[in-house]
Amino acid sequence: MTATTTASKPLSRAGTPSVSLRGLTKVFGGTTVVDHLDLDVAGGEFFSLLGPSGCGKTTTLRMIAGFSDPTDGSVLVGGEDVTSTPPHKRDVNTVFQSYALFEHLDVRGNVGFGLRRKGLDRRTLDRRVSEMLELVELADKGREKPSRLSGGQRQRVALARALINEPKVLLLDEPLAALDLQLRHAMQAELKALQREVGITFLFVTHDQDEALSMSDRVAIMNNGVLEQCGTPEDVYERPTSVFAAGFIGTSNLMSGVWSHGSVVVAPSVAIPAPAHHGSAEGDTVSVAVRPEKIWLGDHTDEMFRLPGTIEATTYHGATTRYRVAIAPGLALTVLEQNLPRMRAEDRWDPGDRVEVGWLPEHTVVLT
Amino acid sequence: MVALGPAPAPRRSAQRTWLWGALLAVPTAWMVAFFVISMVIVVLLPFGRTTNDGFPVFSTSLDNYRALWNDVYLELFVRSVLYALATVVLSALIAYPTAYAIALHGGRYKNALIAAVVVPFFASYLIRMYAWKALLSDDGLVNSGLRGSGLGDGIAFLNTPWAVIGGLVYGFVVFMILPIYASLERLDVSLVEAGKDLYHGPVRTFFSVTLPATRYGLYGGALLVFLPALGDFVSAQLLGGAGTYMMGNLVQQQFNEGQNWPLGSAMTVGMMAALTALMVAYLRATSTQARET
Amino acid sequence: MPRRSLERRPRTAVAVTVLLFAWLYLPILAVTLFSFNDKKSLSAFSGFSLRWYHDLAHDQALLESLVASLQIATLATLGSLVLGTMLALGLERVRSRRGRVIGAVTLLPLVTPEIVTGVAALLLFTGIGLKLSLTTVVLAEITFSIAYVTVIVRGRLAGLSTEVEEAARDLGCTPWQALRLVTLPALVPALLGAGLLVFALVFDDFVLAFFTTGVDPQPLPVRVYSSIRFGVSPAINAIGTLMLLVSALLIVAALVLLRLFGRGTSSLELITGGERR
Repeated sequence: MTATTTASKPLSRAGTPSVSLRGLTKVFGGTTVVDHLDLDVAGGEFFSLLGPSGCGKTTTLRMIAGFSDPTDGSVLVGGEDVTSTPPHKRDVNTVFQSYALFEHLDVRGNVGFGLRRKGLDRRTLDRRVSEMLELVELADKGREKPSRLSGGQRQRVALARALINEPKVLLLDEPLAALDLQLRHAMQAELKALQREVGITFLFVTHDQDEALSMSDRVAIMNNGVLEQCGTPEDVYERPTSVFAAGFIGTSNLMSGVWSHGSVVVAPSVAIPAPAHHGSAEGDTVSVAVRPEKIWLGDHTDEMFRLPGTIEATTYHGATTRYRVAIAPGLALTVLEQNLPRMRAEDRWDPGDRVEVGWLPEHTVVLT
Repeated sequence: MVALGPAPAPRRSAQRTWLWGALLAVPTAWMVAFFVISMVIVVLLPFGRTTNDGFPVFSTSLDNYRALWNDVYLELFVRSVLYALATVVLSALIAYPTAYAIALHGGRYKNALIAAVVVPFFASYLIRMYAWKALLSDDGLVNSGLRGSGLGDGIAFLNTPWAVIGGLVYGFVVFMILPIYASLERLDVSLVEAGKDLYHGPVRTFFSVTLPATRYGLYGGALLVFLPALGDFVSAQLLGGAGTYMMGNLVQQQFNEGQNWPLGSAMTVGMMAALTALMVAYLRATSTQARET
Repeated sequence: MPRRSLERRPRTAVAVTVLLFAWLYLPILAVTLFSFNDKKSLSAFSGFSLRWYHDLAHDQALLESLVASLQIATLATLGSLVLGTMLALGLERVRSRRGRVIGAVTLLPLVTPEIVTGVAALLLFTGIGLKLSLTTVVLAEITFSIAYVTVIVRGRLAGLSTEVEEAARDLGCTPWQALRLVTLPALVPALLGAGLLVFALVFDDFVLAFFTTGVDPQPLPVRVYSSIRFGVSPAINAIGTLMLLVSALLIVAALVLLRLFGRGTSSLELITGGERR
């Protein structure tokens, strides 16, 4: 499978990967929740596991943390097999979705909890806690009980409590999901900056594609317990390798057709030229995808593949305008156009207008 | 998956811990030792007999169970069930209006009011029975009040079935109030308002909307009152007399005065059998009802 | 959440409520009042006096009973808190068929009439040759109280996210340390509530004590019972008042502790046993 090939070639950062999953499988009462997952996360990487709820991403995280036993396969942290190591002996820390703060301890008690377990002397402990609170900008909240903090502050306590232990990898289970939209955007930037500063590997679980794309060095897309694709944000967005990946991240015009002489025939009158795709032969059914924003309704260049069409619907979205363009009976494309400064209302196409759609051949993605 | 090479040894779980098993084992052992085994003894002892010098010994005789089938005991048995049922009905008649008034009209004093209902039940059951007795006794406050106001010579309240039943209601009515209160709390007020539009008049609305919607609170309360009422012997002992004795008094006598423990155990088993039968009937009734709705 | 009352006040229901309150409180108040009477009468209050309390203070046997009951309640509370909490934690974590059976069995004392439990305990203790004494009363009371503790603690555990314990494990705690450092502190309000409830129940409990106690010293309720059987007297009113006072103090203690610890737990929940479905 292609995904696996991509996954086992991490960014050429450090030697041993921080986390390696080998054939990791989890079966819950007959349902395979995680299915032979192979993955390497490099040291210092910000790596996201992205997928819809129920895709197995949280289960994967719990198996790495040690809260759940794999049915098969193994978990390696820093090159060491920890599959049967209990959670407290793993060099891994977690930021929980609910934060799971200790309500009976104050902020300093929470943040220093892990170091105290390691038996650090009082002065070093105090100093490290103060440094960490400084880092997450909670220096003045050290003596507060968690119940008196805001959502964003609680989130930072959870983060500090895990980071202070300097784990080989920090696991984050949808840590921003409980925050409102504005705070979430602020925390995304903060989290990314923090990760750069401390240099610890972050393994981030989310169902929010925007979050995954904007924060990660690499993204792995999971669906039904299987790794669909793994790569840089640009990779997975620009060059999706599966129908699911193309549909889950952003929107795509998905068309299925038959290979014929270097083109995919998606309608009797429409043959889309497509780059050769290994493993597919003449007469095979394949899917092609084109992102709506890659399609032009004018200003075509010669390299572009062009098609005549008719505007079916026009929707104004503020920054963009969305068109439905019929290119064959029963086949329409979504086209997204930026509302650029020079454009005026009368420049927009209206339903019924005849247009020509065009896009660069490299924006045609063939999927299996 | 295709296994390559020899099958791997079974892997150890990262979750392994003896802690939870140990936590469960200690109290379980305690409950088996002090509750389960004791119950088994209660069921088995009636097959035994009492020796001439008054010691109970195990045996295989059915005499004690057979002895229960006797007019005196049967009368007591029926009386106990009737008293307990009367207690349930009276408790419901008192508890429902109270819970209703507090839950739906208590406003911001709701919690304080329900707490005020519960607080007296923290006082000793015995002392409350005693207080009730002191009030009703021939020279008690009620009778001296009656005499003082010239309403007659006073009434012998004590030693009547109603004194015993009243004692039971006084003792256990809170177990009826709480579940009804809880179900009224959950009642959707808009449902009642819709009912008023539909049925016109608060009385019809109450019987066709409110009461059915809160019937599980009522059933639960009935069970919680019936259980202790059937086994009680304090109320009949303090407020009644030989003519109002219940099963509990009989059991108590066998263990404290009669010293016929095997027979006393047989009576206890008879009481438990009656309770179990009623419980099963109750669970059946509520579960079929639940399925219908 | 404030919620609308239905507009019209149902007069009958309000009247029943008022009468119930009168019925609940008047006998108790009468007992208290007449314990301060200077004459033997239970219907005419002729003057304030502490003579009945003075008598009590010189009744050696009664004082021994009071001490015995306080000892029983303390030991039974501690014992049932330990065992009941262990049971609650075990049942919550060991989610197997066996666990469910154990859970059901341990709840049985709650639906068994006390007289049955009392008879059973008496037979068991006699059967294994244990001499009836305060010890046997404590054993029986612990057995009876475990279920209360378990129900209250499980209610609190159910509201506690499992992630909190996992967080402790994640930060380097062994299962035992996670329990001691994180779960138990979170259970403190429930444990206090359960402890006060059990203390109040056991201190006042008559039936179990009646069946399982030895001759001397007798628990207070048992001694009171034998006096009440022979009639009503101002001295009993005085003991009764003292027992009411103990109950009242326990309730006040519960409310104060709730103020200190309880966020989101209403006093009602504590008094009614912690768990509301």
